[in-house]
Amino acid sequence: MSEGLTAALAAEYAAIYAYGLIGVRLPRSSVADARAAEAAHRGRRDSLVVLLAQGGATPPAGAPSYALPFPVTDGPSALRLAVEVEDRTAAVWRAALPGTTGEQRAQALAGLTDCAVRATRWRRAAGVEPLTVAFPGRTA
Amino acid sequence: MVLTWTVRIGIPDQNHRPPGHSRRAVLRAGALASVTAVTAPLAGCDLFDGSDERDRGPDPLAGLVTGALDLAARHEAAAAAFPDLAARLTPIAQAHRAHAAELARVIATPLPSGAPTVPAGGAETDDRATLAALRKAEQRGQEEATRLCVDAPASRAALVGSIAAARATHAEVLR
Repeated sequence: MSEGLTAALAAEYAAIYAYGLIGVRLPRSSVADARAAEAAHRGRRDSLVVLLAQGGATPPAGAPSYALPFPVTDGPSALRLAVEVEDRTAAVWRAALPGTTGEQRAQALAGLTDCAVRATRWRRAAGVEPLTVAFPGRTA
Repeated sequence: MVLTWTVRIGIPDQNHRPPGHSRRAVLRAGALASVTAVTAPLAGCDLFDGSDERDRGPDPLAGLVTGALDLAARHEAAAAAFPDLAARLTPIAQAHRAHAAELARVIATPLPSGAPTVPAGGAETDDRATLAALRKAEQRGQEEATRLCVDAPASRAALVGSIAAARATHAEVLR
């Protein structure tokens, strides 16, 4: 079973945790988007738990809390964290691609693609330019 | 626990090399070549000319290179025709050119030189129609890259996956 998918599960737990904090600080106009994003991450998490269990692995549990890269105190910092969460989760999904094949590869790519699209949406909401990066998920 | 995810990519893109070029393989080939030169001079250069790359036909990613250049040209033409859209379209065109360059490097093929061919029939009359047409083209491009990513060897999966994801983000920006 792919190490990359286990890492993706850890990232999804962290993303779900972060959205809990992001949601309460966001401007009202972005709350629905944050809910949809969090639901998407929960969906990915659930699929990964099933996938890892089917592969004979014991899916790791999430941590009770995660240290944030910067404090979320207001709308702008909440939007910035949302961008950060999606960029980082995209990177973890991208890293899972080489270690997968077939249907699991397709799932990892869907994870990468969804995160990249949400990162773009959050950049637009935050007024961050450019809205896109040339190679989503690439870190170096 | 800290919300900093470590990222490790199993096999970096740049390490993609056709197999069989290890030091030992080269030495072996060299030894074989000298034996052949002594015993059968007529074999000549054929020993190396029949490279398996040619036998395998075009690289599966070759179409993705031309697709990326085609998308870049579409965005550049639209930015020229509708200067109000240039700020939005220029970074997308640059991303497609970066994709083409990276793909060309990975498949070890020079980028086609010369003027890019701007696809005919793409002359929309207003900016809304232009954006809609570009969006369609990005979605088609995303589908193609997604298919190729799923079938790609491990060493190419991350690059092609990023290209598929990038095209999805372009479609989002063109909304």
